[in-house]
Amino acid sequence: MKIGLEIHVALPTKSKLFCGCSTEQVDTPNINICPICMGFPGSKPSLNEEAIILAKSIANILNCKIRDKISFVRKVYFYPDLPKSFQITQLQESIGYEGLIIIDKGKRINIRRIQIEEDPAKIIRSEEYSLLDFNRSGIPLVEIVTEPDITSEEELTSFIFTLKARLYYLGIDIDREIKADLNISLGKERVEVKNVTGTKNLLEAARYEIERQTELISRGIEPTKETRSYDEKERKTKASREKESDEEYGYIYEPDLPEYNIKNYSIRETVDPIEKAKELAEKHAYNPKIILEAIAFDRYALDLIERNEEKYNFNSLMQAIMEIKRFKIDNIDDLSLKMLLEEIEGGFQIDKDTISSIIKHEKVKHSDFSQEGIDNGIREFIEKNPDILRRYIKNKKLADYVAGEIIKRYKAKPKEVLKRTIEILNSMTGQK
Amino acid sequence: MSSYIEEFESKVKPKDYYDRLYDELVRLNPRLNAFNALIKPDKNGIPLSVKDNICVKGIEATASSKILKGYIPPFNATVVERVLKTKRFSIIGKTNMDEFGFGSFGINCEKPAKNPLDEERVAGGSSSGAAIATALLKYHVAIAESTGGSISAPAAFCGVVGFTPTYSVISRYGLIDYANSLDKIGFMARSADDIRVMLDITKGKDNRDPTSTDSKIVGLHHKKLVIIDELIDKVDEKIRSQFFEFVEKLKNLGYTVKNINLNEIDLSIPAYYLIAMAEASTNLAKFTGFKYGFKLNDFSKNYNEFFAEAREEFGTEAKRRVILGTFIRSASVKDKYYSKSLIIRKELIDKLSKVLKDAFLISPTMPIMPPKISEANSMSPVQNYATDILTIPPNLCGLPHISFPYSYSNGLPLSAQIVGSQFNDYGVISFVSEWEKNFEYKFKYNIGEI
Repeated sequence: MKIGLEIHVALPTKSKLFCGCSTEQVDTPNINICPICMGFPGSKPSLNEEAIILAKSIANILNCKIRDKISFVRKVYFYPDLPKSFQITQLQESIGYEGLIIIDKGKRINIRRIQIEEDPAKIIRSEEYSLLDFNRSGIPLVEIVTEPDITSEEELTSFIFTLKARLYYLGIDIDREIKADLNISLGKERVEVKNVTGTKNLLEAARYEIERQTELISRGIEPTKETRSYDEKERKTKASREKESDEEYGYIYEPDLPEYNIKNYSIRETVDPIEKAKELAEKHAYNPKIILEAIAFDRYALDLIERNEEKYNFNSLMQAIMEIKRFKIDNIDDLSLKMLLEEIEGGFQIDKDTISSIIKHEKVKHSDFSQEGIDNGIREFIEKNPDILRRYIKNKKLADYVAGEIIKRYKAKPKEVLKRTIEILNSMTGQK
Repeated sequence: MSSYIEEFESKVKPKDYYDRLYDELVRLNPRLNAFNALIKPDKNGIPLSVKDNICVKGIEATASSKILKGYIPPFNATVVERVLKTKRFSIIGKTNMDEFGFGSFGINCEKPAKNPLDEERVAGGSSSGAAIATALLKYHVAIAESTGGSISAPAAFCGVVGFTPTYSVISRYGLIDYANSLDKIGFMARSADDIRVMLDITKGKDNRDPTSTDSKIVGLHHKKLVIIDELIDKVDEKIRSQFFEFVEKLKNLGYTVKNINLNEIDLSIPAYYLIAMAEASTNLAKFTGFKYGFKLNDFSKNYNEFFAEAREEFGTEAKRRVILGTFIRSASVKDKYYSKSLIIRKELIDKLSKVLKDAFLISPTMPIMPPKISEANSMSPVQNYATDILTIPPNLCGLPHISFPYSYSNGLPLSAQIVGSQFNDYGVISFVSEWEKNFEYKFKYNIGEI
């Protein structure tokens, strides 16, 4: 099996690739538009340098060779969403080439090319007519083209995860507007599934296509070279009406844009979360998977770890981060974090009330967990539920349940409560 | 003559000056087809005309194409912006041209332009209207545009000064593209000094046109003139002999003249037309009949049928260039034609740069006298393209050049063209300034005289 991908990623620049229009996603159609992104006669493109910096940074994290000089071409085709009837894109002089991503189990996925291009407008189709929204026209995209090095569904999943996690740390959320063409061949001929939107659909399209081609081959039928599309609702790929032919785009150099020397353009500093997780795991003898899970798409979690790993016990810190995620705390200050760690290290159960106290810097209320207080609590509970004693004789595990209830009510330390619960139950039932 | 602009500004204008000017042009225009739109100027500046492929905010810009009928640009071209900012000019109209700039005679459009010096003859193209307006009006400058000779040719046929700058010196923002790597906005006027004023105002880097530059423009006034034999050979016998008389005069004025051979110059026509058509066919792709200009109202067809119907609005020459340009770009022949042409252009730039290091190139501007409109109509495309042989080399190479009349024959001007090295724009202008000291231009019309 061979899988290759062409992935389009929208760059999070403030303005569009060739004009000053905002890239903000808005519901009202056709408000972030101007003569340039509408392709009005007389208008000309001016390159947004922020897009170059981001594209160069992407090329960098994908270990690409980066060209010092880049140029653009016109890719000519007629489609209603393309205002100039040509797309400004890159061909031979694309920004990055010959890159590499290492995914799970050390498998190498080669990157053929990374190029900058403009997004067309959005077509909103209905039965009777189609509408055009040019807010999207001219949004900067980067197209990442892989070699057909992916050989299983697992590798595809791992590749997408790795790519996503790395792009995340460049500030790019590819779930927002990822569009991909999936080339997948189990037989001799290549099948291309075009314009799959979103990573979830991409994985499902691949899964479906693997099944479909496997089934064909098992019946002795060779899958034919064709272009297919993915139907989100039916979760199937379908043969496209598009003719399978080498398309003729009549490329020429974009004569409105000069060759750009980008040698001195900066590259955004970034983190490889996978490497980072490995590093932290080694340093603190911790499970790398758990660290990666915590930080893969959470820069805030990583920031907390990096700020505090020397200050606190790493195990407790990781637990604190899990709690912060669990309770969806956006921002925790130093004092609150310290209080949270004290609760964790004190062995206390963390709940909503604990968190709300911590955030407000109020002392966390634990019940009177003097020996006497806890003992009274346990006795009171048993008296209210008298059959506990009878059942305890048969099933010692009931102590856990009782202790749990007491912990919930009194916010006492779980270990201590359990110890006393067992002692009291034993003495009340005359057991040892 | 020095500057008409300065002379105009120093004079007291009659109260109804602009109204009378406007009325006179309204009266003449149906006969000559100089303007696509006439505008009643409301300011006190020197009359300024703008070629119809250059955007003026709020005023229809059609580039003389039916497919752009109704296109009202919501912005000013940078060149217009810079000129208007001085508050010294009043726009009087948008000038006629060959559709999108596709032509050398001004007849590839709905209303063929006529030469005011002999109305049976062509005015030259593609900036036909700009040249006619300059020939008609005493105080006036024209913003024109040249891709392969569209300023020199009509300026030569109408007997005015036509200047095309080094590529990149004047921003192209707001120009409706013909072939972007060749298009240059320039000027026509009745004196070299007026051209200099316009260049001063409009030159320089513009953030809206990334190909524009801030390179220093120089004014090297070389005393050495170079004639390329391969070019002179293609000039009509009668023009050639008059031209050599002119060259003798220049020698008497202290210029030295050197003849050289440059075989590669013959490749300039095919290289130019291949690049120009390849680019033009991409620029014309955007006209699909629903966003601006000509609009189709029947949306029941599929998109291919829809835009094909809209593109019926293109004139014959535009269609020819779309078809040829699309072919030139196609994968199977691209290397053979387009890529090779790019190499030839580079070679020619290198060759000419060496020649022009300490010299100007000089030649007649056009190899023929302005043909009758009927004669021009019966020319084949190849014969037609061949008349650009003298104007194409500087245009293909992006070099500054200026056309000006040096003599007259039966009331028609004989014009010469001076080409300078890259960024020696002031050099070619000062050559003509010097010439004007010894020569008086003849103008048949002096509309707006004060």
